[in-house]
Amino acid sequence: MNRSIEVTVNGAHHALTIDERRTLLDVLRSDLRVTGPKYGCGLAQCGACTVLVGGAPARSCVMRAAKANGAEIVTLEGLSDPVSGTLHPVQQGFVDAAGAQCGYCLSGMVMTAVALLENESDPSEARVRDALKHNLCRCGTHKEIIASVMRASELMRRERPAKAGDGEPFSDGGADARRSEGPRA
Amino acid sequence: MTSQFGRIAVFRDDLGPREVFLTFDTSGVAIGFNGHVDLGTGIETALAQIVAEELDLPVQRVRMVLGDTERTPNQGATIASETIQVAAVPLRHSAAQIRRELALRGARRLNASPQGVTLEAGEVRFKDARVSYESLIAGEDIALRLDLLTPVKRPEDYCVVGKSTPRVDLPAKVTGTHPYVHDIFVENMVHGHMVRPPYAGRDSGEFIGKSLLSFDETAVRDMPGFVAVVRQGDFLGVVAERADQAERIAAALPARWLTPPPLPDMASLADTIRAQPSKPRSCDATGDFAAGIAECDKRLSRSYVWPYHMHASIGPSCAIADWNDGEPVVWSGTQNPHMLRHDLAQLMALAEARIDIRRYQAAGCYGRNCADDVCGDALFLSRAVGRPVRVQLTREQEHLWEPKGAAQIMDVEGGLKDGALNAYGLDSWYPSNRGPNLALLLTGTISPEPRPSDMGDRTIIPPYRIPHKKITVHDVAPIVRAAWMRGVSALPNTFAHESFVDEMAFEAGEDPVAFRLAHIDDPRTAQLMRESAEKGGWEPRTAPRKRREGRMAYGQGFAFATYVHGTFPGTAAAAAAWVCDVAVDMETGEVSLTRVFVGQDQGLVINPDGVRHQIHGNVNQTAGRVLKENLSFDEVTVTPKSWATYPLQTFPETPEIETMLVERSGDPALGVGESAAVPAAAAIANAIFDATGVRMREAPFTPEKMRAALGIHDGAPEAALAGPVARPGWRQRLSAKRLGAKGVGLAALLGGSLTAGALALPIHRAIPPAAAPGAASFSPELIAKGRDVFAAGNCADCHTAEGGAANAGGLAVETSFGRIYTSNITPDPETGLGNWSYAAFERAMRQGISRDGTNLYPAFPYTSFAKMTGDDMFALYAYLQTLEPVTKATPSAEMAVPFNLRPLNAAWNAIFHDARPLEPQPEQSAEWNRGRYLVEAAGHCSVCHSPRNALGAEKTGEKALTGALVKGWYAPAIAGPEATGFGWNDESFYEYLRNGSAHGLAAAAGPMADVVANLKALPDADIRSMAVYLASLSQGSSVTASDIAATDPGSPSPRPVSVPTILPDAVHRLFESACASCHEPAISNLATAAQIPLSRTPALRSGDLEAIRTVVRDGIEAPLSLDTRDMPAFGRELTVRQIDDLAAYVQARYRPKRAAGLEETSPAQPSGIR
Repeated sequence: MNRSIEVTVNGAHHALTIDERRTLLDVLRSDLRVTGPKYGCGLAQCGACTVLVGGAPARSCVMRAAKANGAEIVTLEGLSDPVSGTLHPVQQGFVDAAGAQCGYCLSGMVMTAVALLENESDPSEARVRDALKHNLCRCGTHKEIIASVMRASELMRRERPAKAGDGEPFSDGGADARRSEGPRA
Repeated sequence: MTSQFGRIAVFRDDLGPREVFLTFDTSGVAIGFNGHVDLGTGIETALAQIVAEELDLPVQRVRMVLGDTERTPNQGATIASETIQVAAVPLRHSAAQIRRELALRGARRLNASPQGVTLEAGEVRFKDARVSYESLIAGEDIALRLDLLTPVKRPEDYCVVGKSTPRVDLPAKVTGTHPYVHDIFVENMVHGHMVRPPYAGRDSGEFIGKSLLSFDETAVRDMPGFVAVVRQGDFLGVVAERADQAERIAAALPARWLTPPPLPDMASLADTIRAQPSKPRSCDATGDFAAGIAECDKRLSRSYVWPYHMHASIGPSCAIADWNDGEPVVWSGTQNPHMLRHDLAQLMALAEARIDIRRYQAAGCYGRNCADDVCGDALFLSRAVGRPVRVQLTREQEHLWEPKGAAQIMDVEGGLKDGALNAYGLDSWYPSNRGPNLALLLTGTISPEPRPSDMGDRTIIPPYRIPHKKITVHDVAPIVRAAWMRGVSALPNTFAHESFVDEMAFEAGEDPVAFRLAHIDDPRTAQLMRESAEKGGWEPRTAPRKRREGRMAYGQGFAFATYVHGTFPGTAAAAAAWVCDVAVDMETGEVSLTRVFVGQDQGLVINPDGVRHQIHGNVNQTAGRVLKENLSFDEVTVTPKSWATYPLQTFPETPEIETMLVERSGDPALGVGESAAVPAAAAIANAIFDATGVRMREAPFTPEKMRAALGIHDGAPEAALAGPVARPGWRQRLSAKRLGAKGVGLAALLGGSLTAGALALPIHRAIPPAAAPGAASFSPELIAKGRDVFAAGNCADCHTAEGGAANAGGLAVETSFGRIYTSNITPDPETGLGNWSYAAFERAMRQGISRDGTNLYPAFPYTSFAKMTGDDMFALYAYLQTLEPVTKATPSAEMAVPFNLRPLNAAWNAIFHDARPLEPQPEQSAEWNRGRYLVEAAGHCSVCHSPRNALGAEKTGEKALTGALVKGWYAPAIAGPEATGFGWNDESFYEYLRNGSAHGLAAAAGPMADVVANLKALPDADIRSMAVYLASLSQGSSVTASDIAATDPGSPSPRPVSVPTILPDAVHRLFESACASCHEPAISNLATAAQIPLSRTPALRSGDLEAIRTVVRDGIEAPLSLDTRDMPAFGRELTVRQIDDLAAYVQARYRPKRAAGLEETSPAQPSGIR
């Protein structure tokens, strides 16, 4: 069944009529030609499709676009400053530490790192490894990617002074922490 | 300043058509052309550095064009780490030639001698005067024939080469603007989706290309977006306007295939491979092996097994092709543009020169994945439909069909004489055929007879001085599609060499590194080994040290290899040595690779950072292959369809990596793409030996294999005990997922429907047909009230078939007693309720007797509806008259004897049915009474939530609403102590019924999600009333947890249960790869994560694994009106057995343990699992 939805993607507003079964990833890539997020597995196993929906990271291959109705969506393309082109600190971190070989997983790595660092501004290396454990990289760029996120966290702290209560690691995977702040259908 | 365009270029034309290697023009930019491609390794940057160096131009002013067949020279496939070593040579000379020409012209312009000028930053300089390169070529078009004798710079003069240079492609990649082939859009393009044969991953044998018996295009022609179905032989593809449409059409296309012949026994991989047809080739027969081995004082025979691996590109392959009236353009991520062009020319019977392959980067491929196959697919479809076609493979297609990294068997026999290696025999079996293009095979363009390749001989000769050798490669015909993969056969061959030599060292009572050095004549090799051992912290030993700290054992291993590529005897690429540390958990068998030191000799280093990145990539990728990866098979095909069953190395598993690049700027640059991978398996196996004293000779070194080798008794995790459960027909149910879910909503343990079952004998009085009053005869208020009742009763959900008209019935409901269909409740006179008087309607609703006097099956929840007030009943009747009439007869029920005899139901009613309306309880509040009414009567919650007796009647009293499993979905207890334990209250019930999820407690899924979605129509006050009533049910019950356990075999044991130890095995890895990303998310706030922790999910409380299996198989499609989330269905990805095992694992790991009372305790922790 077709359904009309409205989404804001990287600041641009879109009103679309779509088959309600289609994934957000498909609609972003095919209809809006926002190709930063990549199709990797379609089962939320690899993370290459990660975008921010309402500020929360989402694996857009398992979220239907209709479920994102009304949401503000940010993809890799929407991270840098739209006027000056200045890279987001996480993007800069990945450039500085060469966090890509083929780079197909890169969008997911960057978006996941953005989500991580928004909540935890000073993660340990062990925490970064853990936070990325459900993002797959086949080139074996793990070392550079970890270094990129550490570098990004340094750049972000420099850019934004620490907030109170910041830096609390995501504790136990409990339901509280998982509560959706995502889109309202 | 230049005013006129000018250009200088270097070309060759001695091998055929003119091919350009390098141009520089008045825009100030040099463009290099290379027939090899960037596979994501950053080779583009290294090539640009080479041009920049020889041309004295800033590297920012160099662009590279890689792999396009129209523009780049044919330099063969991008394999064997040859790009820098071989393909870059003419590029470097081209740059030197242009530099020499510019120097001459500059000297002339500046009135200096050619020896007197310097070239720097794009300028020719003499004293204070300078002139730009551009101005020296303005207005001219200069073409120089490639001269490979042109002198190039001396390494000591390098200022760009040898320095780390940032990757030129990274800025575009981090901003999402780098165009991968997946991101290309071509005007007017349509989308293809391939329907692959059932012999997934196989490409040899008579049946290939000849198995498709028939397909039925008419069944899909009317589907949205349909463009065409294209078939030749076993090549079957669908084309549609949109990709999702093409995928849906492909899934719906009926196709009949011959059953493929079985595979040989892949569980006995070594025996199977040795038994295949093969051809031995002698690679080294130095000395006299028979005599040599006979005179050894210490002899050993060993076999090493290397499994099939997947290249496992993160992005499934994609291509776009435009037939373009016979002048095709193909946008491709190929590794081998010129080889692909040859294949496509053969497929389309076209001259190669007419095909233009435009190479774009794709996901890293590490060998031969489906990148070429998908080009054949797209081009073939494009010719058929006359439009550009994009084909994007699914993860499943890429997994199943990519040519696998070949398995390999190495049989070694060797020995020592007087403490030195005296004889070494190796038989290496390598079943591969280089993976011919799939479209060529499926269309029948080429013959599918098994043809072995000759790639099993890479690094087949060990580097040691051994007087007697007998080294033979057996070129084995392929069993499944298999081609080269990083390290090719050198990696397995080195696994054998370096494990065996390590073993021999200890037999000789010597330190393994010292023993190796004693057998090395080449000083360059000896230097690398020695320096690697020193800098890598090698700790000499003459026996395994078996260092223990608690349950962990620690060890260190060494291995060395020179990667030899190309046709035997081949060419040496970089040599690499590993020193690595492992930690082995002696209780679980898990091996952690904690540190890897790699020393590498690659001659001249172009880009040190680039080389280090390649080493890191080789280490990480190969560590995963050695410790985790193993391709599984069933009787016929390759089985992994997602990462669930082919897990890759994760970030927490990544070792610390240190590198040492040997300085050799005077020696030619050697390929580094694969070398550091080659020693991996042996180094890790040798480290495991040092830690445990156990030799691992079969990769991967999984915890299961380690436990077996170490003699660790399996703790018999529950998952392992789960026997296979035969459930024929579940695949069919999958295809009608929503249908199944709705069937559950009916809670139909007995079948039945309002009008179905014409054969029934009427034993009640029929009520004559009477036209129902028109909708206009009822007040709007009454109709509005009826609409609420309709919503509370969730009527539409069961009375609407999938894809059918609303409320016209026909939904099939599978019950244990047969299949029934729901009825048409629209006011159609013939097939609906249009001829039902209110009296007939009310009797049906309260007594389960149809208008014609037949009894209805209690699947229709009249037992609940009987409790409705007269006002609500009439309002509902009024509302039904406003529905759109639909003429649609209800199919007859298909019930098994004796349930087809409806008179039986009359007897049932007499025993179980209380048809009196609900009496309000005056001591309770009006809100509570309203809630009770909605829950017990119109809402008919008990139909699903109350357990039933053997005759299918709901249990009442204290058993009412205490939970039941209904067709695979668990409707949890909403009354009594079982419900009390979880902290439900008015607010959480309200939240749940209003929005579909109660924070931290539950999220509606399956049939309940549809119920909540329909409750959206109810006013808030009613939802709140239901919440108040439901909350009261779970408080103050006199029944205790142990009472429930004592009387209900489905309940968990009330006795304390010891937390089971979950040993890491394939099921654990499956959970971690397929489930954990959403159920144990690694970052907070993930908008696609499960809303409820697994330990709280109702399915685990049911005590029946089927409740878990159902969700895994069918997934969750959350109603769009709710805040709940989707879950993918895994019924396609996983086998029945895997789903059984997974359900048992989840139960063992997460089921709340209730020692006393109903408090949750923490879930079982996998033992020692990171």
